[in-house]
Amino acid sequence: MKTLLFLLLIPLLAHAHVGSPNVFFDGKAGPHSVRVVIRPPAALPGAAQIDVRVAGDGAERVTVQPVFWSAGESAAPEPTSAAAVDAHLFNASCWLLRRGSYALRIVVESPLGRGEVAVPLQATPLQTTDLPPALGATLISLGALLFLSAMWIAHRAAPRRGLAATTTALLLAGAVSGGAMRWRKMDRDFRANMLARPSPVNAEIRTEGEIHRLLLTPPADSLATWDTLVADHGKLMHFFLVREPGFTTFAHLHPARRDARSFEAVLPPLPPGPHQLYAELTHENGASETLVGRVEVPAPLGVAAQTAWTMAYEVWCQSSPTPAGNAAQPSALDPDDSWHAGPAPGVGARVSRLMGGGTMVFQNAGDIIADRETSLRFAVFTPGGEAATLQPYMGMAGHAVIRRSDGAVFTHLHPVGTISMAAQQIFTASTATRVPMSPLPGNEITFPYAFPRAGDYRVWVQVRLDGRVVTGVFDVPVKARN
Amino acid sequence: MGWRVYPSRMSPRISATALLLAAVGVPLSLLWDYSWESTIGVDLFWSPPHMATFLAVLLAALSALALAIRERATKPVGAWLALWGAVAFVTAVSFDLWWQASYGLAAGIWHPPQLLKAAAFFAITIGAWLCAPRSGAAAVLALIGVVTLPLTFANQQHSAPFFLAACATYPLILAAASASGGRFAATRAALGYTLLVGAMVWLLPLFPASPLTGPIYHPRDHLLPPPFPLLLIAPALAVDLLRARPARGGDWIAAIEAGLAFFVVFTAVQWTFASFLLSPAADNRFFAGGGRQWPFFMQIHPSALTTFWKVPGEEFTLPRAVTAAALALLATRLGLALGRRMQPLHR
Repeated sequence: MKTLLFLLLIPLLAHAHVGSPNVFFDGKAGPHSVRVVIRPPAALPGAAQIDVRVAGDGAERVTVQPVFWSAGESAAPEPTSAAAVDAHLFNASCWLLRRGSYALRIVVESPLGRGEVAVPLQATPLQTTDLPPALGATLISLGALLFLSAMWIAHRAAPRRGLAATTTALLLAGAVSGGAMRWRKMDRDFRANMLARPSPVNAEIRTEGEIHRLLLTPPADSLATWDTLVADHGKLMHFFLVREPGFTTFAHLHPARRDARSFEAVLPPLPPGPHQLYAELTHENGASETLVGRVEVPAPLGVAAQTAWTMAYEVWCQSSPTPAGNAAQPSALDPDDSWHAGPAPGVGARVSRLMGGGTMVFQNAGDIIADRETSLRFAVFTPGGEAATLQPYMGMAGHAVIRRSDGAVFTHLHPVGTISMAAQQIFTASTATRVPMSPLPGNEITFPYAFPRAGDYRVWVQVRLDGRVVTGVFDVPVKARN
Repeated sequence: MGWRVYPSRMSPRISATALLLAAVGVPLSLLWDYSWESTIGVDLFWSPPHMATFLAVLLAALSALALAIRERATKPVGAWLALWGAVAFVTAVSFDLWWQASYGLAAGIWHPPQLLKAAAFFAITIGAWLCAPRSGAAAVLALIGVVTLPLTFANQQHSAPFFLAACATYPLILAAASASGGRFAATRAALGYTLLVGAMVWLLPLFPASPLTGPIYHPRDHLLPPPFPLLLIAPALAVDLLRARPARGGDWIAAIEAGLAFFVVFTAVQWTFASFLLSPAADNRFFAGGGRQWPFFMQIHPSALTTFWKVPGEEFTLPRAVTAAALALLATRLGLALGRRMQPLHR
């Protein structure tokens, strides 16, 4: 009986991506380099599938333990031993009970020693499926059989046969229509309150003097508050703007929080027009969240770069030149803000021109297949064709943003994967082992990922060169898995 | 057609006994399942308690089919009803598989396939009872206990939903048993219910098991016992004693007497017994009380472990007590009518 489980199912969180639920992590578990891939269950309770790939030889044992954040480590079940698929790959299945924020604690043992790492995972129902037609037809047939046979039993059993059969038919008809109404209501509530989906956000632009201020607030009927956020790579909010149609403009900004229900940023000089916006937040319980909305960007004021978007075939990248701090009332851009405008890349093109004449090369050979784990590899070259030196951009070698052409997938990747670093730090603090930051790898940068479904994707890759953030843009066709 | 030949060879007596065993197996396997999910937490389709339920329903279907064929001249309504329940169960399980993959439990527990499953279980147990009127009522009482289990922790036994649910259901079965099954039939049914549920309280905790998922708010090392059976035996005895007197007036007078007797005796006895169940004196293997036996996933404030839960809007006030008494009366009246019909219905 599952009834009691429900007593504790309460709404907790939204979700930290759009349409890309699998979690990828590249990093260190003590002395071991690991890649962790987590495929969360579509419905809860359900089993998450966890693959742990350990680089190098000699891994003897890998264990996985799901820790429910709000209950703490003492409330976690015993660690499960992962089964060895081969010398490097281990697989485990973890039953997740409730919607909420989990840390999957992974321990690797080898002759090198014992290492552990916590990977954040948000458990939430991911999708509802339509009733398959064959099952629907079977259920209707069985339902009709049950209906008629109940009438037959009543007719045969009761003294007043006609009355009994009619009463039974009316009762059953009432039960069926009551059940249908209940199903509709449950489905409506489930979609509104339980299902993973991005949260809407209102965006408004106010012009003051020579600057446009962008003001972000939750919808009036939302209970959302932003007073319990933690900084991810030093920023409370990572904010992305892409211009419709064509998505040839891309901005990565860091609005400052004004109060519990508003964020504010200075808008850089972007080409005017309708923009889609995405914002990522991490809450102090380790839950991360994606906000979505739309905003009409007005023509920029002043002279800064007004003509840039008319240079139709010139790549134009910009990052804020002067540090302004994360002031509560921004009068200047954040030093890590960056934006890019340029022509659409060719589909499948492997080379992207960067501002200043350099190039970024997408190095993966062959087709990209949906739902197949891979490393997206990029190399950056100077205008002279030599390997460029990457500088840390918000503590990372780079950032990637992936969007499916229809907007059904949007995710923000780092070389460590899809996880929120802030969430990991929360969990790691509680398990008392910090994860070392991965060193910068020369001119190459890789992102662990699997595209969730086939389609055309735009990938923006941001790195810092000579103090400036530059953006490489790629259109990546992803084929269906056979 | 072999599947028809085999059950039709079973003698009616064996078939009725098999159907009764299957009906008893339904609430027992459901209590095992509750214990399994409250202790281990991993709820797979092929878990042992689910298999036990499937076997019970299969046995019910085969024995009911045998009875329906062999006894077709005498209108074996109980067998037809049990067969109907088996088909409803298959329908509900097919529906539920899709539901669990689509919504899980996040849309709520009393979802349409779950309600259909409950209807199927009642059809099977009531069908078996109609085929074995002297001994089948205990399984129906136990099934009511399973379905109302989320309201029956000792901490809830001073609240209105508990008394309303109990008064709307148990008197129907006790009155029907009393009206159809001879001397002290209601008491025997209540005794059977106590032994069935009690057996699970005493046996399940003998098996080692621990949670395989979290969060674990109540660590466990053995299977969780279900809540101790309600003391239905006291109001059942009252109903039997009232019914044993020479009849005065019609069924409505009898229903008022027996219904009110159920309400008064049940409320008084269970109200007192609940306090005992929460006390340290009940913290033992027999009563499984003392506020220590919880599903691992229930988050309960330490002060609420051994106190009565006061949920706003659920206080057992005088108007609600009157409603409970009225429900007991109506359930008794229905039960008496059903009991009178049971003899001619039975084979």
